[in-house]
Amino acid sequence: MSITYLEAIREAQSVALQKNDEVFIYGQDIGFFGGAFKSTKGLYNEFPDRVLDSPISEDAMVGLAVGAAIEGMRPIVEMQFADFSSVGFNQIVNQAATLYWRTSLACPITIRLPSGGTPGSGPFHSQCMETIYAHYPGTVVMAPSTVEDAYSMLLDAISIDDPVIFCEHKYLYYHLKAQQLPKKALPATKARIVRPGRHATIVTYSAMVHEAVSTAEKLSEDGFEIEIVDLRCVKPIDIETVLGSIARTGRVLAIGEAFPWGGVTAEIISQITSEGFNLLDAPPARLNSLDTPIPYHPELWRFHRPTAHSIEDKIRKLIKE
Amino acid sequence: MASGADHEDNLKNDSSEMVLDAFRWMVLARTFEDKISSIYKAGKIVGGVYVGKGQEAFSSALAVNLVKGKDIYSPLIRDMAGRSAFGEPLVDAARTYMGSSKGPTQGRDGNVHRGNPREGMPAMISHLGAMISVVNGILFARRMKGTLDDAVGATTIGDGGTSTGAFHEALNLAAVENLPLIVSVANNQFAYSTPNSKQFACDNITDKAVGYGITGVEVDGTDLVDCVNTFKLCVEKARAGDGPQLVVGNLLRLSGHGEHDDAPYISEDLRKSKLGEDCLSKAHNRILDEGWANQGDIDDIFKESDDEVKSAIHTAESEKVPDPYSHNWSAYSSSILNE
Amino acid sequence: MRVPILMPQLGESIAEATIRDVKIEIGQSVDADEDILEVETEKAMMEVTTPCPGQILEIIAKIDTSYPVGAILGYIEASEEYAQKSTPIEEPDDLSEQKSENLTNKKAENNDLANPSVTPTIEGLPVPAKATGARYISPRLRARMEDLGLNAADLAGIAGSGAGGRITVEDFESFMYDLETKKTSPASSMRIAVADSMRRSWSRPLATVGSPVKLDSLLNHRKQSNPKPGPTIYAIRALAIALGERTASAGRLVGNQIVHPDSIDIGFAVEVDDGVLVPVIRKVDQIPLKDLIAEYSSLVDAAKKRRLPKEASSPPGIATVTNFGTFGIVWATPIPLPEQNLVLGLGFG
Repeated sequence: MSITYLEAIREAQSVALQKNDEVFIYGQDIGFFGGAFKSTKGLYNEFPDRVLDSPISEDAMVGLAVGAAIEGMRPIVEMQFADFSSVGFNQIVNQAATLYWRTSLACPITIRLPSGGTPGSGPFHSQCMETIYAHYPGTVVMAPSTVEDAYSMLLDAISIDDPVIFCEHKYLYYHLKAQQLPKKALPATKARIVRPGRHATIVTYSAMVHEAVSTAEKLSEDGFEIEIVDLRCVKPIDIETVLGSIARTGRVLAIGEAFPWGGVTAEIISQITSEGFNLLDAPPARLNSLDTPIPYHPELWRFHRPTAHSIEDKIRKLIKE
Repeated sequence: MASGADHEDNLKNDSSEMVLDAFRWMVLARTFEDKISSIYKAGKIVGGVYVGKGQEAFSSALAVNLVKGKDIYSPLIRDMAGRSAFGEPLVDAARTYMGSSKGPTQGRDGNVHRGNPREGMPAMISHLGAMISVVNGILFARRMKGTLDDAVGATTIGDGGTSTGAFHEALNLAAVENLPLIVSVANNQFAYSTPNSKQFACDNITDKAVGYGITGVEVDGTDLVDCVNTFKLCVEKARAGDGPQLVVGNLLRLSGHGEHDDAPYISEDLRKSKLGEDCLSKAHNRILDEGWANQGDIDDIFKESDDEVKSAIHTAESEKVPDPYSHNWSAYSSSILNE
Repeated sequence: MRVPILMPQLGESIAEATIRDVKIEIGQSVDADEDILEVETEKAMMEVTTPCPGQILEIIAKIDTSYPVGAILGYIEASEEYAQKSTPIEEPDDLSEQKSENLTNKKAENNDLANPSVTPTIEGLPVPAKATGARYISPRLRARMEDLGLNAADLAGIAGSGAGGRITVEDFESFMYDLETKKTSPASSMRIAVADSMRRSWSRPLATVGSPVKLDSLLNHRKQSNPKPGPTIYAIRALAIALGERTASAGRLVGNQIVHPDSIDIGFAVEVDDGVLVPVIRKVDQIPLKDLIAEYSSLVDAAKKRRLPKEASSPPGIATVTNFGTFGIVWATPIPLPEQNLVLGLGFG
């Protein structure tokens, strides 16, 4: 038996719905139809009262989830694409993320963002929004890179009493498979060393972990051992694990699929330089997508985002620094 | 406006208690906000002051029709009267204005933003229209859990707020889900300084209800009896499962947008028009005319309000302000995230 | 083989010594380390010993004459084995050349620079020629060096493998690993201070010029003087008078202005244990030569005892005189102190 990243997300939701009556899923086309990506496939049949179609109203969907949370529910809101969450932005960052601060009442909602690029998706179906939401106080932002993490972290997200932005990567939906789902897992807020090394550290998350791993495998043939830290949770950030890795390697490359200006990779490097300056034996490096909207044509798209090739160029330069 | 002797009698029988109740909260709100305004002008208030002068009747008339502990009331900035009528302790209002650390927001959010979502009164954010879908969510969740019963959720907004996308999304969703939602629109003719002519092009805000497929009614917002009666009807319809109700109260704000604003954009003609009548003195006269209370009773109401306001402000003033050094500087409720 | 008997380094600070007694005869057989001459330094009476066993061939040095450290005082005929072991410097042709007032070494002149015996090769250098050395030090490397109490100059011998020849932490660690295999001994604080001062001096362009000086009239003057000023004192005095006339030479360039010294204070190098001190004599241009002798001697004494009065060490002078000729050195590139831009070196000629 093998299970995909997408099935892991479906399974986590199924488990959460079974275990807890307070959990419900709200989103566009997620009921009978099972979602644009089929991440709620079959769940409506099982839980017809708790897997509910919404109008195309991202603002009202999130506002509703906050109201439901006030009423003690644990809503999961599915954005059809991460890109469209911008319409619900105000409710996410100003309503949900501030609720606890303003009223001492927890806001246990999970907003699932099918994120990231796939060939031919273009500017408005490919975005990575983790940076935007991580910027605001009160949010938790997760970006799992494996089937196992997609499953265990989504369960964690649902059980956390604060708003969680769950950035699931569409490219991994069908590409990634695991033999079985985990029974025990690392807590969602902890980073994981995917691969040990000693010449440089790559800090990344989500689909870029896989690009980084293939780069590391290639460089290993040349005798360079690259350590890879999968952040898993972008916020709060497990900077201790990152610094621990850099203490071993002295060099760091932060990779994100999101746009380059500001952002998660900038935050990583900012924290490393302020808290781990004396660990650095070379200027910390960053790699993000190009600073343009995401192109539609696959040839342009592959060039726009970081890939194993561009990562290799960057890491070879970093090792020589 | 009320019309017909039968209706008047009927009203007296059914609503006089409710009108008197609402009147008490109007007096309390007016007394409190006048006091707060003068304290503000003495520089002792933390943040801005936005009063509901001229809107007390419309505000309290909705709240006296709600049941605390069962219904939801999500007020906006000009709902001092409604908040009190819904059961908000006056001292909580005084605490936020005076910056007491014991206030509902502990100094974390501003004066009119206070709320108590645990007791059915969500705390507003400044983004207009955003609270409607929160009320939707509470009703939606209760229905899902089977605890909704005949409860309703009410929230308030102004004429300007009806132009937001959030207003549209939320009303549309409430209509789709047939939620027992009451949205009261205090149409005070201006959004800050912007007149309605620059806010919407339909004849009346109730026209918007048609588009959502919900009930929309208009009321003279300066007439307490009319307001109480109208909300009574709408709340009953919502409880009965008739879906969202849009109630538009036509009135005029008898103050600036905030106490920093002398509202030069409101013309003298408009101030002197029917819209500019003071709902409080109008209700006062009506109560005397109807004989629901005598001047002595009303004097008592003013006296009691005055005492209550003084006491609340005295209490709030004597309490400590928030201490940034011992403050819990965490935006997360989960302890695991605060490590 | 002729093995020279040299004026030894009689303590780190001593520049010259005066022969007081000759204790052997020409032709006499001697052992190694046998006392043969008695000399007087500014500090004490001391002995000069034989460099190796052999037979005294010649004693050139004359009683009551001062000779700088390193000067040849005589020769021993010794076996080839001993000769090789005990010939520290190349033997000058004869005493007359040694005493020549011409500071230009004829050997150096004859040295055929067009046909150097050693061809510089990039391969032969410990550091690649293009290496920029320790110009950029990463935060990690800096932190590591701080842990170990090292500074940038200590990295000079490491070949960097990083960008632009930068020394990486890996380079550094392997360097440190190598060090562990070598013999080390602690450096004195004086030696560290001198090294540091020289490093700081080296932060600006330095140029050295050499010029021969005829000392006939000086030596004449000296003969007639009592007490007799040493050559260093003459040089201090001469430099002071010259700088007094043209203060710009010792001025500091600040922006587009030359800041002229307001007091002609001259320092002079005194070798002390494991280093050099530079006592300063204030307003030298206003002190007659005669009076300088006493002041010079007392400061040399104080320096040797590391007991320089505060006014003799701070503020630093505007220029320094160093007499490396007393070590038999004919040519050197003395480095001015970081605060100064002039140093006058006296070579052996």
